[in-house]
Amino acid sequence: MWMSKTWLVQAFFIFITTESIGKLLDPCGHISPESPVIQLGSNFTAVCVLKEKCMDNFHVNANYIVWKINHFTVPKEQYAILNRTASSVTFTNITALSVQLTCNILTFGQIEQNVYGITVISGLPPEKPKNLNCIVYEGKKMMCQWDPGRETYLETNFTLKSEWATEKFADCQTKRATPTTCIVDYSPVYFVNIEVWVEAENALGKVSSNHINFDPVDKVKPSPPRNLSVSNSEELSSILKLSWINPNIKSVIRLKYNIQYRIKDASTWNQIPPEDTSTTRSSFTVQDLQPFTEYVFRMRCMKEDGKGFWSDWSEEASGITYEDRPSKAPSFWYKIDPSHTNGYRSVQLIWKTLSPFETNGRILDYEVTLTRWKSRLQNYTVNDTKLTVNLTNDRYIATLTARNLVGKSDPSVLTIPACDFQATRPVMDLKAFPKDNKLWVEWTAPNESVRKYILEWCVLSDKLPCILDWQQEDGTTHRTYLRGNLVESKCYLITVTPVYADGPGRPESIKAYLKQAPPSQGPMVRTKKVGKNEAVLEWDQLPVDVQNGFIRNYTIFYKTIIGNETAVNVDSSHTEYTLSSLTSDTLYMVRMVAYTDEGGKDGPEFTFTTPKFAQGEIEAIVVPVCLAILFTTLLGVLFCFNKRDLIKKHIWPNVPDPSKSHIAQWSPPTPPRHNFNSKDQMYSDGNFTDVSVVEIEPNDKKPLPDDLKSLDLFRKEKSGTEGHSSGIGGSSCMSSSRPSISSGDENESAQNTSSTVQYSTVVHSGYRHQVPSVQVFSRSESTQPLLDSEERPEDLQLIDNVDSGDNILPRQQYFKQNCSQQETSPDISQFERSKPASAVSEEDFVRHRQQQISDMVQSSGSGQLKGFQEVSAADAFGPGVEGQGERFETVGVAAVIDEGMPKSYLPQTVRQGGYVPQ
Amino acid sequence: MDLRAGDSWGMLACLCTVLWHLPAVPALNRTGDPGPGPSIQKTYDLTRYLEHQLRSLAGTYLNYLGPPFNEPDFNPPRLGAETLPRATVNLEVWRSLNDKLRLTQNYEAYSHLLCYLRGLNRQAATAELRRSLAHFCTSLQGLLGSIAGVMAALGHPLPQPLPGTEPAWAPGPAHSDFLQKMDDFWLLKELQTWLWRSAKDFNRLKKKVQPPAAAVTLHLEAHGF
Repeated sequence: MWMSKTWLVQAFFIFITTESIGKLLDPCGHISPESPVIQLGSNFTAVCVLKEKCMDNFHVNANYIVWKINHFTVPKEQYAILNRTASSVTFTNITALSVQLTCNILTFGQIEQNVYGITVISGLPPEKPKNLNCIVYEGKKMMCQWDPGRETYLETNFTLKSEWATEKFADCQTKRATPTTCIVDYSPVYFVNIEVWVEAENALGKVSSNHINFDPVDKVKPSPPRNLSVSNSEELSSILKLSWINPNIKSVIRLKYNIQYRIKDASTWNQIPPEDTSTTRSSFTVQDLQPFTEYVFRMRCMKEDGKGFWSDWSEEASGITYEDRPSKAPSFWYKIDPSHTNGYRSVQLIWKTLSPFETNGRILDYEVTLTRWKSRLQNYTVNDTKLTVNLTNDRYIATLTARNLVGKSDPSVLTIPACDFQATRPVMDLKAFPKDNKLWVEWTAPNESVRKYILEWCVLSDKLPCILDWQQEDGTTHRTYLRGNLVESKCYLITVTPVYADGPGRPESIKAYLKQAPPSQGPMVRTKKVGKNEAVLEWDQLPVDVQNGFIRNYTIFYKTIIGNETAVNVDSSHTEYTLSSLTSDTLYMVRMVAYTDEGGKDGPEFTFTTPKFAQGEIEAIVVPVCLAILFTTLLGVLFCFNKRDLIKKHIWPNVPDPSKSHIAQWSPPTPPRHNFNSKDQMYSDGNFTDVSVVEIEPNDKKPLPDDLKSLDLFRKEKSGTEGHSSGIGGSSCMSSSRPSISSGDENESAQNTSSTVQYSTVVHSGYRHQVPSVQVFSRSESTQPLLDSEERPEDLQLIDNVDSGDNILPRQQYFKQNCSQQETSPDISQFERSKPASAVSEEDFVRHRQQQISDMVQSSGSGQLKGFQEVSAADAFGPGVEGQGERFETVGVAAVIDEGMPKSYLPQTVRQGGYVPQ
Repeated sequence: MDLRAGDSWGMLACLCTVLWHLPAVPALNRTGDPGPGPSIQKTYDLTRYLEHQLRSLAGTYLNYLGPPFNEPDFNPPRLGAETLPRATVNLEVWRSLNDKLRLTQNYEAYSHLLCYLRGLNRQAATAELRRSLAHFCTSLQGLLGSIAGVMAALGHPLPQPLPGTEPAWAPGPAHSDFLQKMDDFWLLKELQTWLWRSAKDFNRLKKKVQPPAAAVTLHLEAHGF
């Protein structure tokens, strides 16, 4: 315990002494090598050797050595104990450029005590310098430079060495700031070859570049020529003479030159062909220059054979070529004031100033001459570029020349045609298009030779007047661009006028844009007319000021509030468009976009509502309806008017006018008007005792012959049938006013004849030429069937031997016999059948029927009777089925048919509820 | 006398150095390809260059010497400069010289003149003048090397400097200051004359070496006509 304490104190003491006054003391050992420089990436071994004294003092040996690198302990694996006093450490592949390596001993109590320390520096050996080259500045020393190669991380010295075959020159040591160049101490001797190389050296090695051997005169960079001066020549306006002082080296070597020049304001240099300046000289004349132009010159020189370097450029010198007469006639044109005053017209002659390279000097003035045919010249001298003169209406020739100090330009000649001159022969296929930010105009020349073309242009605008600018082109030109300050998205109206020897041709115009842009305003669309399903939109053409280009087309966008937008393209020539297939009673929003080549611009949105009904739709419904009602009413009225009798009859019965009636004949013992046989007479006498016949004479006597005819027929029939046919039937058929005849039929039973009482027969004139019907009113006092029924018994009699159920057949036959001439259409029955049983009186109905039938009688053809017969038969069959009405009708028909010929009416109706013989 | 002896030894040493380095002269090593033509041309150019150099150097140096040496029409008698190699020679004699002799004379003359010039350099007062003289010396040494190269190219051996024929004349304190200046004057004058003569020599030599080709060309041209 005591011992350890003692050691601790001792160690502390040693530590203090070594730390504070260590430098005064001998170190305990040392490291070998002392200050190593090693190559990067190589291995390195250091050995620490302890001194015996220290080993004794601290009771340590080589095993106690601890290596530290940059204050970090080196792993034991890298140590090697060489002997009792020496320990080595080995590092492989050193990458650090500089490390602190210390050797320490571990003393009592694990206290590390520093013994020795070294700094290990690493780097790379120098690379062989490359691209060694030297330059000899005239009058100065030689400078050489080279490429040093890779970085060595060590202090590397470059030494430029040079020698003659017979003598070595002093080395040239590089300066630290410029390790790759060196300026030798001596002036090199021309024409004696020198050998030069460079040596690079550092702690890790020494390497020298390839040797170069050259004559310093071949590496010369001369001083630039001095005192360059420029002078012009009054004789020749296209030349300038340069002179200069050559550098001193000219006395030793021959030189060649580069001479460059430019127009003062230009930026690019022109070079005189080098072959013209390939020999030593001190002056040079530059040719082919423009008159009255300031040129700037500079030059440089080098050794004639091209070995060495070009000198720097000399200082610039400038000179102005002498004036020459203007090289070109000015552009010349005129404008005529449209207002005429008593035979004179005001003509403004205008011309353009020549460009600086055409004036060849300062323009002093312009000379204008005006010549009228066969009259003297008028001369004007003008400083301005326009001249206004009053000319007569004749043809004039104007010439213009520009004058400078040296002379006059060629004249520009212009023919001002007479007042009545009619311009023709325009240019053809005039086109204008932008290209390369210029507005080009192209045309096809007329067939005739053109002296020149005049191009005029101005900005088309609604707000500003057209301010013309113009330019002149040669007669051979057919394509040019407008030389003016053109603005984008402005419409230019370009006019091309060919000018012939005898005056100007007809101008041609075209519109063009330098660059189009979308319109600055969109078109304002509005509705012209709105229909139920369509709307007519209209808009105005955009003003030229907002078009900014050629309007190529329009697009109309329209939509409902909820619906998708629909687009319609419209040609730019339109100002109206009809939107169709719209929904009625809907709010539509419509806007319109006008497109130029560069894009479109939409105008304000316009809303409109389609109406519920189309215009006139209501009218279209109402008017026809009203018309229909009116027409129907009219028809009704007409019908009523037509059928007023019927109506009248229906409403109030036809009451015969008693005042117009008269009893034509009252003859109880009817005198036979015809030649009846005795039998008849006998019968008639007996039969007609109770019958009174009232004959109402119709006004019209026509029926009479018919009557007679029918009477004949009747007679024949009678003779044929020989008493089988009923006289009453005949009378009913004939419906004539001859009941007496029939009644006088011989074979009738007394019952029949006695039971039939003819009340009266009324004959009256027909309404409106209608066949007057003879109405026979019969009154029966008996209980026997009425008139119609009276026939039946006869029929029955006839068919008695046949089937009683088939009783209709005889009647048909009867009809056939009696009414063979009469044919009725089957329609009748149909009509009748379809006709519901009406409550009309028998008379009405019968009359109606009569009329119809009479119509049909005329229209129907033969052979149809059969149908009628069948129908009739059916009718006859179905009293129970069809009702009494039907029954009655059939009877009616029979009656009517019978009645047909005599055109008289004999009502032989059967009362309903009355007895119907079957 | 000590100094003079030292100077002689110096001159000898510099001659020996020149001789020692002769084999390293490029012209010697490339005898084959371009022939002696280019090196003769170069030597001629160098003489012209030295002439030009000397003209400015002489002007400066004579101004340094002061009047009457810097006067244009100063033409003193050649006193005390007998040891300087004379450039002036009878035209007939000069024409009769062969190439070897001509080159040898040039070589020997410049060897001597260079040694004298080095002595002149040491006496020069101003740094600028010393620099000019040093450069001229270097250039003259280059000329010597060039001549050696041409001689080697033409296959002539270099003259061996005889131990006893060291230049008797050398600038030294033995002369009075004026005479010293006179020696300097004559040195520059002789140098100038030698450079003139050398230019003529090498021009002649150049023409002599080039003719064959020129003759052929001429012959061909004549043939063509």
